[in-house]
Amino acid sequence: MEALFQAMIGGLVLGLIYVAIAVGLTIIFGTLRLVNFAHGAFYAIGAYVGLVIAQHIGVGWAFIAAPIAVALFAVLLDRLVLRSFYDKEPTAQLLVTFGIALVVEESLRLIFGATTQQYTMPAALQGSVTLGPITYPAYRLLFAGGVIVMLALVWLFIERTNYGLIVRAGIRDRTMVQLLGGNIRQASTIVFALGAAIAGLVGAAATPIYSIDPGTGFAFLVPSFVVVVVGGLGSFWGAVLGGLLIGELQSLTNLAYAPASNVVIYLCMALILLLRPQGLLGESEVIRQ
Amino acid sequence: MSTPAVPPAPAAAPTQTRLRVESINTYYGDSHVLRDVSLHIGAGETVALLGRNGVGKTTTLKSIVGWQKPRSGSVTLDGEELVGRDMMQIARKGVSLVPEERRIFTNLTVAENLKLAQVTARRPGWTLDHVYEKFPRLRERLTHKGDEISGGEKQMLAIARALLQDVSVLLLDEPTEGLAPLIVREVENVIREIKAAGITTLLVEQNLYSALAVADRCYIIDQGEIKFEGTPDQVRTDEDLRRRYLHV
Amino acid sequence: MTVSSEPAPAASARSGLLAGDARFAVLCALGIAAFPFLIHPIGGYSTLATQIAIVSIASIGFNLLLGYAGSLSYGHAMFYGGGGYLAAILLLRVSPQHPNLWLCVLGATAGTAILAMIVGAVTVRLYGIYFALLTLAFAQMVYFIVEQAKDWTNGDDGLQALPNALLPIGPWTVDLTTHLPSFNLGPFGDVGELRLWYIFAGICLVLVLLFARMLTRSQFGEVLGAIRENEQRSTLIGFNAPAYRLAAFAISGALTGFSGALRAMFDGSVSVDALSIDRSGSFVIYTIVGGVQTLFGPVAGTAVIMFLENVLSARTPAWRLIEGLVFVGVIVFLPRGLSTVLKQQRDKNPRGLFVRSLRPSNEEPDALLRPGGEGRKSGPISIIETFKLGKLFGHFAANHDIDFKVDPGELRAVIGPNGAGKTTFFNLLSGTSAPSSGTINYKGRDVSRLSGTSRVHLGIAKAFQTASLYPDQTVRQNCRLAALARVQGRFALQVFRRSIRLDDVDNLAERAMARLELLDVADVRAGDLSHGDKKRLDIAIALATQPQILLLDEPIAGMSKDEARKTEALIRKLATEMTVLVIEHDMEMVMGISDSITVLHQGTVLATGTPAEIQANPRVQEAYLGGHSEAELAH
Repeated sequence: MEALFQAMIGGLVLGLIYVAIAVGLTIIFGTLRLVNFAHGAFYAIGAYVGLVIAQHIGVGWAFIAAPIAVALFAVLLDRLVLRSFYDKEPTAQLLVTFGIALVVEESLRLIFGATTQQYTMPAALQGSVTLGPITYPAYRLLFAGGVIVMLALVWLFIERTNYGLIVRAGIRDRTMVQLLGGNIRQASTIVFALGAAIAGLVGAAATPIYSIDPGTGFAFLVPSFVVVVVGGLGSFWGAVLGGLLIGELQSLTNLAYAPASNVVIYLCMALILLLRPQGLLGESEVIRQ
Repeated sequence: MSTPAVPPAPAAAPTQTRLRVESINTYYGDSHVLRDVSLHIGAGETVALLGRNGVGKTTTLKSIVGWQKPRSGSVTLDGEELVGRDMMQIARKGVSLVPEERRIFTNLTVAENLKLAQVTARRPGWTLDHVYEKFPRLRERLTHKGDEISGGEKQMLAIARALLQDVSVLLLDEPTEGLAPLIVREVENVIREIKAAGITTLLVEQNLYSALAVADRCYIIDQGEIKFEGTPDQVRTDEDLRRRYLHV
Repeated sequence: MTVSSEPAPAASARSGLLAGDARFAVLCALGIAAFPFLIHPIGGYSTLATQIAIVSIASIGFNLLLGYAGSLSYGHAMFYGGGGYLAAILLLRVSPQHPNLWLCVLGATAGTAILAMIVGAVTVRLYGIYFALLTLAFAQMVYFIVEQAKDWTNGDDGLQALPNALLPIGPWTVDLTTHLPSFNLGPFGDVGELRLWYIFAGICLVLVLLFARMLTRSQFGEVLGAIRENEQRSTLIGFNAPAYRLAAFAISGALTGFSGALRAMFDGSVSVDALSIDRSGSFVIYTIVGGVQTLFGPVAGTAVIMFLENVLSARTPAWRLIEGLVFVGVIVFLPRGLSTVLKQQRDKNPRGLFVRSLRPSNEEPDALLRPGGEGRKSGPISIIETFKLGKLFGHFAANHDIDFKVDPGELRAVIGPNGAGKTTFFNLLSGTSAPSSGTINYKGRDVSRLSGTSRVHLGIAKAFQTASLYPDQTVRQNCRLAALARVQGRFALQVFRRSIRLDDVDNLAERAMARLELLDVADVRAGDLSHGDKKRLDIAIALATQPQILLLDEPIAGMSKDEARKTEALIRKLATEMTVLVIEHDMEMVMGISDSITVLHQGTVLATGTPAEIQANPRVQEAYLGGHSEAELAH
């Protein structure tokens, strides 16, 4: 029973990382129609920036510097390379972002080396917390809470601000937003930077839990794509539902029959693609261009 | 220069041209859809563009707002060239298109649809209260999602969105299409109100009766070419004209 | 590489082998023979050369799918690694005392081919990015299953130190690890550094190249390329696109599996790396950098990148970064190449990016023709008859209750004001859409559930509102493809024969071009034609399938006056020998050439009659005037 609880919370933590990456992926797709295989690179850059800042200045600053650095990188990427790919076929976007992911991963490997690294949390956050029958590392719970707060803020931004209104309208009908004088391009760039920043922040915050090596970004990206497909491309709640589902599925399967824990998530993706390709919460009506 | 004789009193005060479309040629791929199309609209005028379906009416509107780029010709608003600018820029100059399919944001509520128009407006047009006054049904539907309202309500909402912004020229693409006769009458009233408010309007319509009721002037387009320019009465009385270009 | 019309080369009457092919094989063999020596001065060595030769086979297989079938797979490692593991397992389990290379390699290839057919059957229903992601999903499943099946595969450690497999040829048993006799070539190394493995791998590569060359020029390859270039058109001239894509996927997978098996046998080991995403990605990189849609591109790309990986990795740790930058550079700065390959995904999704499949879900693609239902059997006269035909999009009834009848040889115009549902109606007749209600009878038989592809073979052909052509092929080639579909049927696995040999195809194409007065532009690239010629070509393509009923959707839209009148006359002539249905807005044409007219309004039939009857019909006038009578206008 204890093991079950452990696994469920572990699944929640893992799932929340997936949600954070998937939310960025899915809203970027919704507004920009961009399939971004480089999204894992945002996670990785955030993690390494966080690592360096945490080791040299302080953990608190790491959480500020990481998302900002990643957002800047994202905007640069958008201007220099990705701009010309927004109207291209999704498979061309997949290819170029895959190439960018490779370049980033290798650059990180050259700069930081291939070994797995981690930074330690300040003493106050170490240690465990007792929740009923189990004890669980305090930081992980804090992390989970932090991600939930962050996602709530993102949700508020999208659902309650004027900017978010433009973004949501644009996801449904870009042309009509433009016909009403809305600057969908600017909104798109901001969304792109925001999605990247989220991934970067989570990368920095998750490093004490999962450690970081140059391949970690991509390692989290592929399951995040599974999440996006399962939840539905372009759907915020789809990313949330999908992320938690996949995280729990992975964690619980690991407990029940460990060898199947990785297979099961891809099986899930394959089933969704075949039976309901728009995802659990996606639109069956194709998104309007 | 000799003193000119006293000119006869003009039939109507000369209006200043706001929108001028001059010899535009628009293509879909290689298909030559608009051939040297020219028209103009004066300040405060309501001009109807008539024709059967498939002849280029919507393409003309799209060419004006930058949705389709004409290969040649010019579109000017108060003398300023619009061809080459993108949709957002042209919309922000006050050239506002209410498209044929209405294109309500179905994932947003009625209130949010209206709010969006206010948020993206360069300058505010009608106030929200004024909109509720003219479109009372919208007020009752504020929390409904865009796909939960009727066809007539969608049309009202689409027009209201445009009016919340400061409109220089309003382009209406077949506002009565697909609506029940009772609702058509409501929409016709709205268009009359818009006309009474002095808003310069280009009305594309296949419903001849609706169009002639509000138009100051008419153009007829057929197979991508302007075939006629004149008054509604001329269209009413010339059966041959109607047979040739408007019905069968 | 597009298939252009070539003069018929000197041919051996029996097999598909031509003089050109023999020459090609010899050149390849020479190049492969020289390769290890050429790379020696720059740091290459014989093991690397052999590995390059082997992996090139996989890249060729991958390119068959990407470059020729137009599908990007992110999961080919499942075939490469799968082939490797199958070969290794066969080696270890079946006859470890008498290890037989033929058995292991061919057995692994057969196993991979079966895997490819199973995975393919499921994945080819999807397109674009969904297809790529699904192949990735399957590859990941294979990876993790293999990693976990430790009893068979040793898990993460892989299968190492495999016994050396021998190659029985006739009376001899050849050990491929034997070195060649020594012969010093100075700076180019010594022949003795090479083992027999290189010769064996080289021969395999030459054969695969030859096969690939013959395949891409064959009838099968021609149709595959057509489907890649314009699947919508290909389906509606009668080709079974999913079958072709599945065949391409299976062949591609098998070749990649063959390569993986060879590699495992050569290396003497196989590990899960061969099944990884990196491996799948490497095929993508090799092929894109080397050149998609070319025969040698994948080979060149494999050679260059594998060489750099090996040589550079010794010099600098940044070699993979360089590889990544080159890859991104190629994609960003690539001329048409990449976009023509991926073009098909865009064309087939006019409204959105991720439509699941072309075929509507409630359809039986190859349903047997059923006779018309009881009481609904039409008389022997009508060629097409519909009963209460309807089409729903969500709640919206684009068509409803359409009772429509047309006699053979009629020229019927279908007109109607806004929202009439004319194009929807044509889509129902041609099979592009499946009806929500009602039936369609063709010559007395119910074809309502029959796919568009099947209907073409029955004689229903359509020309599109926006001309749907093969823009990179000549006019003649466009017509030949349609004629080929007529002659060969929905699917033909003719991977060796070339379609140039089929006289019927040429005749049909010539006649179609002549009827539409396109002979003087016969050798012009379709994408370069004027608008009017493109529209006429679209009709010619439909005509080349030898239809009995021709559906024309706005045939003169966007044409100049002269072209319009000319095309009108051609259509009138066509109508003397077949039934023609025309959607049009040009009333001059409609009234001028139609035998009869059907007016659709708000999704259903308003009136049918001669032009004079329609013009005199007040309800028709009302419909066009927006629901008011003429009398009301004089208010």
